[in-house]
Amino acid sequence: MIRRLSRVLGAPYARPLRMHLAGLIVYAILQGLAFVLIVPVLRPLLRGDVDAALPWVAVLAGTVVACAAAYWIQAQLGYRLGTALSQALHHRIGDHLAALPLGWFTPARVGRVARMSSTGVVDIMGVPAHLLAPLVTSYVTPAVVVFAMIFLDWRLAVATLVAVPLVILVFRWTARLFAATDHAVDAAGVEAANRVVEFAQNQAVLRAHGRSDFDQLEAALLEQRAAGRKQLLRAVPGLAAAGLVVQALVTIVLITGVYLATSGPTVDAAALIALLVLTVRFAEPLMAAAELGAAVRMAGNSLARVDELLATPVLPEPATAGTFTTPGTIELDGVGFGYDSRPVLRDVSLRVPARSVTALVGASGSGKTTVVRLVARFFDTRTGVVRVGGADVRDLTTEQLMSQISVVFQDVYLFDAGIADNIRAGRADATDAEVAAAAALARVDEIADRLPDGYDTRVGEGGARLSGGERQRISIARAILKDAPIVLLDEATAALDQDNEAAITAALTALSRDRTLLVIAHRLRTVQSADQIVVLADGGVAESGTHEELLLRNGQYAHFWNERSRARGWRLTPA
Amino acid sequence: MSSDLGTLLRPVRTPLVIAGALQVVSALAGLVPFLAIAELGRILLGGSGDPWSAVIWAIGGLLTRLITIAVANAVTHIADAELQHDIRTRIARHLARVPLGWFTERSSGEIKKAAQDDVGAMHHLVGHAVNDLVAAVVTPIAALGYLFWVDWRLTLLILAVLPLFLGSYAVLMRGYPEKMTQYTAALTRINTAVVEFVQGIAVVKTFGQARKAHGRFRTAADDFAVFFGAWATSMTRVEAFASALISPAVMLLVSLGGGVWFVSAGWLAPADVLPFVLLGVGLTGPVLALGFGANSLRQARAAAERVAGLLAVEPLPVSARPAAPADNRIVFAGVGFSYDGRVDVLTDIDVVLEPGTVTALVGPSGSGKSTLAALVPRFFDVTSGTITVGGADVRDIAPADLYRQVGFVFQDVRLLRASLHDNIALARPGAGADEVIAAATAARIHDRILELPDGYDTVVGEGAHLSGGEAQRVSIARAVLADAPILVLDEATAFADPESEAAIQDALSGLIAGRTLLVIAHRLHTIAGADQILVLDGGRIAEQGTHETLLAAGGRYASLWNASSMEVAR
Repeated sequence: MIRRLSRVLGAPYARPLRMHLAGLIVYAILQGLAFVLIVPVLRPLLRGDVDAALPWVAVLAGTVVACAAAYWIQAQLGYRLGTALSQALHHRIGDHLAALPLGWFTPARVGRVARMSSTGVVDIMGVPAHLLAPLVTSYVTPAVVVFAMIFLDWRLAVATLVAVPLVILVFRWTARLFAATDHAVDAAGVEAANRVVEFAQNQAVLRAHGRSDFDQLEAALLEQRAAGRKQLLRAVPGLAAAGLVVQALVTIVLITGVYLATSGPTVDAAALIALLVLTVRFAEPLMAAAELGAAVRMAGNSLARVDELLATPVLPEPATAGTFTTPGTIELDGVGFGYDSRPVLRDVSLRVPARSVTALVGASGSGKTTVVRLVARFFDTRTGVVRVGGADVRDLTTEQLMSQISVVFQDVYLFDAGIADNIRAGRADATDAEVAAAAALARVDEIADRLPDGYDTRVGEGGARLSGGERQRISIARAILKDAPIVLLDEATAALDQDNEAAITAALTALSRDRTLLVIAHRLRTVQSADQIVVLADGGVAESGTHEELLLRNGQYAHFWNERSRARGWRLTPA
Repeated sequence: MSSDLGTLLRPVRTPLVIAGALQVVSALAGLVPFLAIAELGRILLGGSGDPWSAVIWAIGGLLTRLITIAVANAVTHIADAELQHDIRTRIARHLARVPLGWFTERSSGEIKKAAQDDVGAMHHLVGHAVNDLVAAVVTPIAALGYLFWVDWRLTLLILAVLPLFLGSYAVLMRGYPEKMTQYTAALTRINTAVVEFVQGIAVVKTFGQARKAHGRFRTAADDFAVFFGAWATSMTRVEAFASALISPAVMLLVSLGGGVWFVSAGWLAPADVLPFVLLGVGLTGPVLALGFGANSLRQARAAAERVAGLLAVEPLPVSARPAAPADNRIVFAGVGFSYDGRVDVLTDIDVVLEPGTVTALVGPSGSGKSTLAALVPRFFDVTSGTITVGGADVRDIAPADLYRQVGFVFQDVRLLRASLHDNIALARPGAGADEVIAAATAARIHDRILELPDGYDTVVGEGAHLSGGEAQRVSIARAVLADAPILVLDEATAFADPESEAAIQDALSGLIAGRTLLVIAHRLHTIAGADQILVLDGGRIAEQGTHETLLAAGGRYASLWNASSMEVAR
């Protein structure tokens, strides 16, 4: 576990960790020595020879002072390590998450990651701060005592040593019992946490359908209880056995000692009693070790989960930066891709010249969004090549690629911060004037004017307090502020009211000026005015050309156009 | 606060008392082996008595302690598991009853923390606190009593370290509650930031620094580390000193050194040093354990406080004597509404929705259309005035009856991570497969569901990845099956997915036939045939009438219509 801790923390923390461990071991050995010194002090004392005991008391005093000092130092080191650890873990988890392919982020993982970075990290922080010290002392101190016993009275030492392997075995077994059930407990906890989030986020829907209950949440909670019970049922016998074994050890030593004392004058009664005192004293930390070992294992499981996350492969990154031969262009060449075994794109080839608008059109599931994601390299292609600015996206560093493109998503996710903060996410170092200018171009100023706190109005989790059209306008302002040469745009599908429709048209006009635009077009006007329309079907490009050319061809696009035009005339109720 | 805690813990009071009693026995039994060895010492050093009976006493004490402690722990842990489940279930039930507005003020990360992490943090309170506390009190008191009996002077000497320890501990506890609050707040910020980070990952990836965690998450993590570091540094100096002071090694030195001194002074027989070495060393152990546990205990109490706070959130009031709606007539009388008490979103809304008619809400963003519609299914309660359905105030109608009466099709579709069958049968959990299939067919989604790996049993988000339009049709199927006579509908749903507009529109046409309809309208031509059109402006009804009368009036509606007709023509 210490090896894993060291790996998860990374090289900079290897030294502090070793220092802390060294401090701990020194402390534990000194404590063991202090206990061993009971014997030379007690032996003469019990015979009434105070003068022989006095020098040993002095030795004991020295050892105890050193021991207390060692304790203080290791505690400081441990806490410092624990604190450094929280920061290091959060950063490593966060940076790794940002580099993982987008496909990794399934809804179930949100709860998992949240748990890992809150309670999980706190669990691990506690290892050096609270757990390691008692754990190390409860093993090392008794070991020192047993070792010293060999020299003090070999027969009692043998009696102790006989029991030691048994103690170790039972402790291991107990810890393993805990660890095994801990996975189930953790999994149940994650599922329940996910269901609670789902339950909270879906309150409106659930209530509108008269559901105050949520079977899935109840089931998850029941499962959580069952997992907890199961852990209990399996852990209790383990703990009891551990306790029993330690007591058996004490009993064996006790019986052996009394047998030796009563069977003849071969043993010094004073020495024997001193050793018995030592035995009962050192048995107690062993008992504690059984319980602590389990707690450490549980923290170890948290650590293992972080380790596992950090071991998830990220999108490979080239060592050297690539070069752009044709800035502002996008090219897909024979691209194939699927999220699972089912291919979404089989063979897609298309070219978007610099400073032109290309509209992607096709039925749902035809892979329009996938094309955009591949250009932004949220995923890597299975076959074929995606080029941005003439360079294979896999040859570009993330910085390079992201400096070329802005993305305006359909499901715009806004952070629960002010409107201005959300726009500034496009370029962190933008001045207030630049933010205001981008906001005005995307007509976000109208939204801010309407809200009580203007640009500082918090938008709610995910932007929940704004309408879809408003969210998209903020996201367009963000892209304008970023000012990348290529814009990937997934138009909002939700119908827009007059205001939003006009505002977004204006915002898109501002955005597409001097930029390359690849757009998943939902508004007929965007499609119609595009320089190039690409119709996707069956994992490939069915048709491409301008609006007029495609209408004349009377193929899929013409059919799509006619359907859409008819749908536009739909009325909820006949007039 | 302690009364909150008392209420929360009431269900486990009996097991806690039983465990406490067992723990008393265990603590006393734990002392027996030490006394037996002290006795053994006396006997072997020339005293009278049978050494073997001392051995038997020791073993008996050990066994009794082992059994009682195991049972006490089992009792508290079982009680803890039950209590956690009980509280979580109560939280879930409570959440379903608090006003919806409460959720928009909070992140789901916060709610998750209360229901999962905080309830989990209470574990120490129930599982360990009583046992630890009893051990920490009974063991030293009993041991001290015995030692006093042996020699009160040496006992007092041993106790001399305690005031030092208690003093430094008091220093330690200064300002603790404030710090603890800050600690929790910092942790909650991380929780919220990470949920946001992961849910907004696509944005982070494209706009954030390449391969760097989201800035807010990093800030939250750093703030936490800085805060905790400062706190821990100041605290550990003292805490480590205090702990070192009562560590077994120091206690050993005091007992043994004191013993040597007393024997040399002739105040004590050599054999009487034994009890002090045996018991004096262990005197502080349970106190130390309590110290280790104190942190968990305080966290547990703080967590319990937050859980109690969550359970204390005022639920949306439910009438004691529920009224039943007589028909489907909806009347808004002088309705006003404000989300925050500062800005009025709706003012003086008076309107009647006759059964079987279509009422359309028209107006710019922020004019209050969606809010007005959300008041009918009582997502919020009106600030002034009343809304009645079939003559009964919506606040007086039993929630189950109200939702049976009022259906809702949202613009942003939310499907649950459950099978498609369960998603469609949301309003009627007992519906049969044939009814679900009929609803799906009416909503034009049946064929698509059959294409999924497990058909209707496919779980949304796991086996089924539906497009926006497909999800929208599932939500329409829900409404079809719910079959509520009143329907609140966002017209935008008709255009949710341009590629399947026609299918959605067909589905909607089927759904609305014969129902009392309240429509949030975005495109005017869609609702031109409505029986009544309300033009909202700034939260007030600016104009009201049919398409024809409003056009003829030449007001706001007429100019909106002309603008939108030009749009269509272009």
